[in-house]
Amino acid sequence: MKKTIQIPLGSQHISLLEPIRFKFECENEKIIGVDADVGFVHRGVELACTRSFEFKQVGYVVARVCGLCAITHSLSYTLAVEKLLGYVANDRIKYLRMLMVELDRIHSHMLCLAHTAENAGFEALFMQIMGDRELIMDVQEAISGNRVQFDYISIGGVNRDLTPELVAMIHKNLGVLTSKIDALIGLFDNNWSLSLKYKGVGVLRLEDAYTYNALGPLARAAGLATDVRAETSDFPYEDIGYKMILESSGDIHARNFLRLREIVNSITMCQNIVNNLPVGEIQEKAKGKPNGEAVVRVEAPRGELFYLVRGSGQNMLDRVRIKTPTFSAIPAMIEVFKGAEYADAPAILASFDPCMSCTAK
Amino acid sequence: MFKSMLEAFLNLFRPIRTLKYPAEEIVLPSGYRGLIEYGIDACIFCDKCEKVCPPGAILFYQNEDGTKTYRYNPWLCIYCGECVRACPKPEEALWQSETKQLSALKEEGANEGWFVWEEACKQSREAYATAKKSAKIQNKSEE
Ligand code: SF4
Ligand code: SF4
Repeated sequence: MKKTIQIPLGSQHISLLEPIRFKFECENEKIIGVDADVGFVHRGVELACTRSFEFKQVGYVVARVCGLCAITHSLSYTLAVEKLLGYVANDRIKYLRMLMVELDRIHSHMLCLAHTAENAGFEALFMQIMGDRELIMDVQEAISGNRVQFDYISIGGVNRDLTPELVAMIHKNLGVLTSKIDALIGLFDNNWSLSLKYKGVGVLRLEDAYTYNALGPLARAAGLATDVRAETSDFPYEDIGYKMILESSGDIHARNFLRLREIVNSITMCQNIVNNLPVGEIQEKAKGKPNGEAVVRVEAPRGELFYLVRGSGQNMLDRVRIKTPTFSAIPAMIEVFKGAEYADAPAILASFDPCMSCTAK
Repeated sequence: MFKSMLEAFLNLFRPIRTLKYPAEEIVLPSGYRGLIEYGIDACIFCDKCEKVCPPGAILFYQNEDGTKTYRYNPWLCIYCGECVRACPKPEEALWQSETKQLSALKEEGANEGWFVWEEACKQSREAYATAKKSAKIQNKSEE
């Protein structure tokens, strides 16, 4: 007689933000085998980038791959094209781009924290974190002119500049957020029911993180020091106070904690950027047509985002390849699920912060 | 543990966090990226805005006498502002307002109506090009 039962999670499930299907092979309550299917929201973005849009327009197309890290997608694409055009942005542009990326990281991490809390059965905390997240959304809306689709980065610069009112608003909101995050750190560390749901659950060991090529917060929570911000020199991250943050236990608690500490670090970086903004133009001319092949890596909130752009001196590109962090993290995710209790699966899944529409693009 | 219980109790007396929409208006920050507006008097019909627009939300119809008719689809537009940056006469011929577009009604034909217009624009250009060509040939033969 067969000893195991199969329980599906998804593609539609109340604990999921986006469609993904896991097929769990369970022995009693224990998960022993996992099968993942991610292609539910495929939209053909890569092909559209090479067939329907000219290279100057593609930046706005790839921004629509993901609602949360729109800015990272358009930034990666823009960097790749700028490499092909032989253009290097001035410091002010770099700083403004970093500012938006770090703000994006803060609100994306907060969404993940909220969601993990909800999936662990703590709905009130979910609402509280989502409410605090509005502080950052408001700043981003005021800077870029839109709440979700920022369309802030264009080839050769950024589209808007910071005004003194905006600077004041950034300082005010980040100040409020700092105290809120401090309170959250205390809560996540000390709350008894949260630690029951999180500590020792969904552990990814360091060796496994290494073997299964984990990346982003997932890897750093297991103690694997990997961060594109430290590995590439496209942006002067050291100058604005970037610190590599590592945890060691690799469980949900470590991932939550790592995100909280990264938020604190990102807040410091944003404040440093605004305080030390270099003078310069925000839009410069980047002339020519992309010829050749460029590869760009940018640290998205969920890990390394990879872009390959190939052009042959035409208005239309030959190839745009997008490799998103969630896609690369699937082997590690499957490893974490094995041996866990089925009831913990939603919380574990949320703690990966998976972004399905990115992955299926 | 006790701290969070105290927090929960204190929350009973804290102000409400949510907005009372739609009873209260939501205040948008200044500089909100809204609809694109057009001033025909300053426009030089260079077509730059049409060429850069990623979704193709601006289309010009080529009239037979050489002038062009502007039309803009507010539902297709992604409010990126590329057209304004491309326009040689920004603020006079083309500018971005802070008005928000409401959702389309069926009668407004946000999709179907626009497909018809796209087709019409394409044909008008082809017809204009052939008419110009034949006029040229005629001119030459007259000489
Ligand atoms: S704002 Fe962008 S999408 Fe809208 S008409 Fe201008 S270029 Fe097109
Ligand atoms: S870019 Fe400006 S001037 Fe040129 S056609 Fe468009 S609105 Fe007219």
